[in-house]
Parts: sequence; structure tokens; C-alpha cells
Amino acid sequence: MDIRFVHFYPDLMNLYGSWGNVALLRRHLEDLGNTVTVDTVIPSGEAALTDADFIFMGAGTERSQKAALQDFYRFGDTVKAAATEGTAMLLCGTAMELLGRTVTDDDGKVFDGIALADFTTVQGKHRIVGDVYGQTDLYPSAVVGFMNKCSLISGVETPLLTSLSMGFGNEDKLGPEGFHQGSVFASQLTGPILVKNPLLLRAVMEAIYHRRGQSLPETLPSYPFEEQGYEITAEQLKLRSEASK
Amino acid sequence: MRKFLAILVCKLGRAVGRLVGKGSSMPGQAALKICPDILRQVQLPPHIIAVTGSNGKTSTVEMIAAILRKAGKSVVYNEEGSNQIEGVTTAVLTHCTLGGKMSADVLLIESDERYAAHSFRYFHPTEFVVTNLYRDQMTRNGHPEWVYDALYPAMHPDTTLILNADDPLSSCFALKHENVKWFGMDACALSSKEPSGIYRDGAYCPVCKSPMVYDYYHYNQIGAYRCPYCGHKKPKTDYTVTAADLDSGTLTIDGSLTIQLAFRSIYNVYNIVAAYAACRECGVDAETIGSVINNYILKNGRMVRFKLGAHHGTLLTSKHENSVAYDTNLRYIRASNTPCSVVVIVDAVSRKYFTSETSWLWDIDFGLLDCEHVNRILLCGRYANDLAVRFSFTGLSPEKLEVHPDIPESCGDLEANGAEDVFVVTCFSDRDKLLSLVEKEAV
Ligand SMILES: [Zn+2]
Repeated sequence: MDIRFVHFYPDLMNLYGSWGNVALLRRHLEDLGNTVTVDTVIPSGEAALTDADFIFMGAGTERSQKAALQDFYRFGDTVKAAATEGTAMLLCGTAMELLGRTVTDDDGKVFDGIALADFTTVQGKHRIVGDVYGQTDLYPSAVVGFMNKCSLISGVETPLLTSLSMGFGNEDKLGPEGFHQGSVFASQLTGPILVKNPLLLRAVMEAIYHRRGQSLPETLPSYPFEEQGYEITAEQLKLRSEASK
Repeated sequence: MRKFLAILVCKLGRAVGRLVGKGSSMPGQAALKICPDILRQVQLPPHIIAVTGSNGKTSTVEMIAAILRKAGKSVVYNEEGSNQIEGVTTAVLTHCTLGGKMSADVLLIESDERYAAHSFRYFHPTEFVVTNLYRDQMTRNGHPEWVYDALYPAMHPDTTLILNADDPLSSCFALKHENVKWFGMDACALSSKEPSGIYRDGAYCPVCKSPMVYDYYHYNQIGAYRCPYCGHKKPKTDYTVTAADLDSGTLTIDGSLTIQLAFRSIYNVYNIVAAYAACRECGVDAETIGSVINNYILKNGRMVRFKLGAHHGTLLTSKHENSVAYDTNLRYIRASNTPCSVVVIVDAVSRKYFTSETSWLWDIDFGLLDCEHVNRILLCGRYANDLAVRFSFTGLSPEKLEVHPDIPESCGDLEANGAEDVFVVTCFSDRDKLLSLVEKEAV
């Protein structure tokens, strides 16, 4: 297949190594014989979202996020239409907050999100930081990651991580984390979340194939370093989450 | 009475601590318990210089102390790097009379960026040097703008800020501050038209988030920036590196003072000009500064030479989670130009707390090792697999890469084979895992 990514604001929204997600997803798709092109969008630039196969935005500082939102807002209806059609999307860190109804900054100023989902975000003066080990409905094994944010998100009905054994979720300790609806994936876990979680990468690939009316091949190439990297982190975090009980 | 008691407890605690080899924050902590505003009650020296920033604080502070001492001033500083309020309190009270008068000309403080506002609640620096602000230990610091906001309340209106004109973020401290002196570097042989590094934190203006334009870059977002939208730009400098040449290891400050570099890195150049600016502000003349800084070898140098079998090795220590520090060391290896092997060790992400956070690996420009003279790269430690994934995006030929999670095993393998130079890149938390296996040499 010819697969097209749309990467929003790669310089403005690229904290915590977010770019690793795009790089790894692209490689895995290419390894299956696909051709992948990545269109990047800069603020006030053009974006062709119709027929995109994958839409991505990485994490940014709270100030960069407001600049991103100011621009992203004009794509709101197109992004929602794409979501309805099953276009795969991943929004990481503060980018996730743009999908909700509002983002309130630490001074109480309210910004409108694109309202793809019903949740709201309130940013504060303290950072919530720590490792995360949790569960998802997508597959049986654990999701691993790291949380580094200053916001509480309320009103998520379909989280990506349904429960956590360790760490902070959308608005609570051990609470659900992220957002997942159909082909839309969002999480505040920092950085290259698809690199850290090979099965989440697979779920995003499945969504991309699904919209094209195809399924992923039964057997996929193996990536021992990615798999062992995940195993080791998952094992370490599991030990810690059990010890903290 | 409380004041007297606090000073006494701190002095005693420090003396006992020295005997048993304990760190320097405990006595200050005890004193603060007895008298929380003790730092307001003591009589401090006429100059209080604070240094903060993401990189280069320790080196800059060390050079400032050496220069001021050469100029005949008595200097007290928190040498052991306990750079939060407790460590500062220990340094101050151990050098106080029991009546609370500090016997020194200068109090010099290396200050943690995040805790500076807390440390300077009861007194404020006369000069405050900010070396730079960029991505550093994001697991605790959040991100550079978060650190900026945390540091901002520490800037007292009476303090003279000594700022890096070439850093678009930390230069913003001048936006609401009258007393500012600038250090920086003119366009020179080291300048580049293209940005370096994996990420571009200089792409957008920290003030208005419009795209910025650079006349030249020195490294990462450090360079001559300007925002066409709001006008935020590199200001005119008071203390300036007017020429620099890393190949010959020379730099010129303000067109007249020429210095030979013991460590040929652009980061060292910036630390030197920051120290120069601070000392000039304290009334030290350029010649005295030059006599100290010329060929100055840092005591806190993060470079260790060692032997391993027939190999001569260099250990380059960077903080994990600090991509700029890593890039410095990778650039050093790239500039070495002799056939070598490189060992990268990530075994524990932090020595202070456990975390499995590895996203900082994606901010490091490991592609700098993609050069002809680097023949072999060993990826070691618990996170060797994560390193291998990251390195698979560098363009380096896979034949050069070997994954060895076990550190002693990979050292043993090196020891038994070959005689090429070896560079080891790792962090403080992991360096002893290597040093315990090799024979140290004098630098
Ligand atoms: Zn601007």
C-alpha cells in the first residue's frame, strides 16, 4: 500500500522524543512492503487530512501546546470527520488535551479544544511525574510508560489504559489513562510510547490496515531488541508495582 | 539565641560530618529546623554570586572561585555540589562567626534551577549567572519552560543578571529586569548556518511562539536568533568571545584577551566567558582572569583516562537524561579522528531514584558516531536493547553495533581483543561499573 502520515508540528510539539513514534511506525509498515510518506504540518501551513492514513502530534510544553491549539483548531471538523471514517491517529502528551472540549491553563484561562471527545483538561502548578504500569482492553499484556504532566483530565469515558497498577492516570492515582475510541489513540505517557509498547504499535498498525479494508499479515517480522526492551521494562515495573502494594 | 544555636549546631554537624565522611546538606538542614530564616539573620559578604543553568554550572562556579581567589578575594562556595537551600546554609554557617558574621569577600553559590527561588527567599544574590536553559533531566524538571517559570521568582529586582545572550530562552529573564549584563559569542569559525541536534527547541520564539530566524548557530538552540514577529533577539553583548578556534584550542575575549583551552569544546568556551563576565562584574581585571583561565584544567573534569588490556581508554561522563551533555561527548569522539571503539552504557537511568524512563535516548544525536574512525560500538547495560532500537535510527551500519547487556562481559571482550582507543560514554550512576573493571591513568 501507499501509506501517508500527517505529522502535525514536528518542531513545536516534540518533547520527550515523540518523533520516535513516527519513525518506528514508518519502519514497521515499510518492512511489510508498504511505501510510507510523511507530510509535516507547520502552524498556518496547509494540511491534507482527507485520505491520510495516520495523523500524529507529539507532546509540547504548555505554551507550545497553546500555539499548536490556536492553529489546530481550524482542522477540528476535518479531524473529527477523519476519526469517523476510521483514520488512525495518535496524540501524545499535551497534544491529547487538544481533542477535548476545553483546556484551562494554570491562570484559569480557558481555551476551546476541537471537541472530538467530551473530556476537559485543567492545568496546574505542580508536575505529576513517575513510572506507569497499566492494563488496556486492546491486549492482555501490560502497558509501560512514564508520566510527566501538570494537568488533570476529566470526563474520559473510553480510556486507553483501563486501570493502572502503578502511576498516575487522567485524573487520579491508579486511575484510567489516555483516550481510545475506534482508530483514535491518545495518551499522556511521555515520549516514544509505541517504541516502548510493541503491542500498542501493532494496534495502531491494525487500525491503519483496517481503514484500507485489509488485515495485518498473520505473521509479522520479529524485532528482538524492541521486544526484549519491552520485556525488561515491564518486568522491572511489575516488580516495583508489586513491591509498592 | 536561636541564631547562635543554629550556627553552632551547623558548625558541629559539619565537623562531625567531615570526620565520618558525610555529605554537606545535613548540618544546614538541622540549622534550618532550629531557625528557618537563619539566612536572613546572618551578615553576608558584599558579593553573593549565584550560578544556575542546565549545563556548565559546576565548571563555571569552579572557574569563578579560582579567578576570585587569584585576585586576592576570600571565597566561600558550596563546593560539594549540594546546591539546594540546605547545602547553601551549611556553606554559609560554617564560615560564620558565632555572632553571625560571614568572614569572606564573596559567597559563591551553585544553585539548582528548580530550588533557586526557595534558596533565595531570605537573601538574594548581587550577581546571578544563568549559563543556559535547555532539556535536562526531564523526569524531574518537566521541560525547559517549566524550569524557566520555577527560576523566575528567584530573580530579585536588585540583582544584576548575567545572562547568555545566545540562548533564546534564558535571555527572556531580561524582559522584566533592569540590571542585565550579557555574555555571548560572535560569529566565528565555530558558527554554522544549520542547526545541530535531534530536536529544534530554537525553531519557535519562547515569547510569542512564532518561527524564529537564526543568523548562525553554535550548538542546539544557542546562536544568533531573532523573532521577526515580536522582536525577541540576541542582544548586544557586554562580554564577548570574539574569536574561537577549536583546532588550535584558542579563544579571544573582547578582541584582546587570548586564552588557550585545556578542553577544546564549545561548551567550555561558553562556561569560560560566563565566568569571565561574573568576575569582571566583581571588579577583577581581564589579565588576572586570563592568567587563571589559560589552560585551566577543571578539577571536576568529567574525563577519566584508563587502560584496559592493550587499549587506552577515555571515560566521558554525562548526566543521563541530558541530551546536550551527551552530544558534547559524542562530538568530542567524532572530533578525535583516530580509529576507536565506543562503549555506551545505560544500566541505571538515575542514581537517585529508580525509573525505566528512556525517552531521553531519543533526544541524543547518536548519529554523531556515524563516522569512519568509529569502528565498533558496544551497547551495554540493562537498557542495551533500548539503545539498540535507538541506534537503529542513526544511519550507522549494523555491522558496527554490538549489543552486550552485561558490562563485565563486554569489558572482558574488549580487554582480550585489539588495541584501538576506547571511548566510554555513560553517566555518574553507571561510571563505577566501568571504573571497577579498568586500570585508571592520570589525565
Ligand atoms: Zn517572538
